[in-house]
Amino acid sequence: MSWITLVHGLNLAAIYGLMAIGISILWSSIGMINMAHGASFAVAGFSAWQVSLAAKPLIAAAFGTGLDASVAMAVTMLATGVIAGALFGALIYLLAYLPIHDKANYAVRSLIMTLAINLATVQILLQLFGPNQRSLPKIFGFGKLEILGVSVRYDQLGTISSTAVLMLLVIAWLRYSRKGLEIRAMMQNPEGAELSGISVRWTALPVTMMTGALAGLAAILLSQTIFVSPTSGAMPLIKGLTIALLGGLGSIPGALAGAVIIGFLEAIVGALPFLGQRYVLFSQFLFIIVFLIARPRGIGGLLDETRE
Amino acid sequence: MDEILAIRRLNAGYGPLRVLHEIDFTLRRGECIGLVGLNGHGKSTLFRSVMSLVGWQNGSIRFKGREIGGTRSTGAGRKTHAIVRLGIALTPQGDAIFPGLSVAQHLDCGAYSRIAWRERARRRDMVMDIFPPLRRLQNELVGTLSGGERRMVSVGRALMTEASLYLIDEPSLGLAPKISASVMEALHSIRSEGKAMIIAEQNVALLSGKVDRMIGIHSGRLRGDIGHVSLG
Repeated sequence: MSWITLVHGLNLAAIYGLMAIGISILWSSIGMINMAHGASFAVAGFSAWQVSLAAKPLIAAAFGTGLDASVAMAVTMLATGVIAGALFGALIYLLAYLPIHDKANYAVRSLIMTLAINLATVQILLQLFGPNQRSLPKIFGFGKLEILGVSVRYDQLGTISSTAVLMLLVIAWLRYSRKGLEIRAMMQNPEGAELSGISVRWTALPVTMMTGALAGLAAILLSQTIFVSPTSGAMPLIKGLTIALLGGLGSIPGALAGAVIIGFLEAIVGALPFLGQRYVLFSQFLFIIVFLIARPRGIGGLLDETRE
Repeated sequence: MDEILAIRRLNAGYGPLRVLHEIDFTLRRGECIGLVGLNGHGKSTLFRSVMSLVGWQNGSIRFKGREIGGTRSTGAGRKTHAIVRLGIALTPQGDAIFPGLSVAQHLDCGAYSRIAWRERARRRDMVMDIFPPLRRLQNELVGTLSGGERRMVSVGRALMTEASLYLIDEPSLGLAPKISASVMEALHSIRSEGKAMIIAEQNVALLSGKVDRMIGIHSGRLRGDIGHVSLG
């Protein structure tokens, strides 16, 4: 095990964290387990791919091929991913929240609804683009950087730093803005939020859009290491969901801690000579199962000071 | 127009269960009344049906001449935020509040309407004048407070709203007698011009001298005005 493994782990933790936090926030605020989070991921990836094809000649014409051009491409990619994810989040809100949110057993209904959205979206993407894998332009460029004697690839550095910045922005937004106060009030007590004059119906829209945007960002960042394909959302969805469970569904610090643990576990198990990549999933699920048997509330149960 | 709340032939319940039967009563501007009745006889359901939070309801509820009741076909709670914005503030029974928010944030939640949000610092100050212990607890999480302090936060949240009708559900529930008396004292002190208040309570002794009149509720039916009860 070396420092490179740790950087790799941090890289994975960043991407899984983006997925897990989205799932966790959605569950605690509107009571939905979003099985269509993987579809948001894939749709954002494909949107970015389409836009990159369209934007490449434009950017080349405007900026040439220098550093300006790659920065412009990076901004375009990230913005496309975030916007496409947010729009897909709004679609999930329209289909799986608005019509059924005050019916009995909303948790199960929305689970089935979002699962259907996920399957339908994957099939539509297959129909439109075929099963081929597409590669996005490398937005952070190629190359390595020496930081304290550890060589870090540009894309890892970019992923880790942009995730950290965005995560801080989301947490600050939730903590200090008026909308954030609304969302946190709704997370803790929907009826109390209604009694404070907050419309739970309308507050749910920014939540679904924001979590969709996080999935879109994760799609762009993960596409720096792997390819975009219609089914590429499945693995991040499973990882995000299990990490959200490990973190104690609904707890943001728990989801972050879970993402770091699972990310490092994946990197370390993958790097150990006698285990290797094929034991990664096995070890992750084993860890999650054992942890949840010992601590059914997940990590969040340890971190959160108050729970009613 | 003198009436602030007029309820006519209100029925309400949950599923097959009918809790309120043909409720009829009127509240005048500036009036403070006590709603007295035993556990499970419909006090909270009456409040919740004013806020459109019960399972089903029919009959007329007019607030400042505007119909907010009627037969509802949508789910419970869909109209609640609009009713709050019209100017009714409910302090729910028990601690149906946000345990993970700090006291200051919790009070801010009450100042949701646009005007109230701009002056939320001033309003927080006002609430803390009424409930002095809250001032030093501003940054504590509500979930870590004692029962009496939580009730103060809960009532304080309702006071942050730009409301002209306050519905206070069982302010003394689960509190020590001394603390519940001080909460009641504070409620009495905030009565001001044009604002009406209904306090639901089981402890008649606590209400005496603090309200203009009392209404009894039994098995979901109103039992006439009790008038002013003085004890001792």
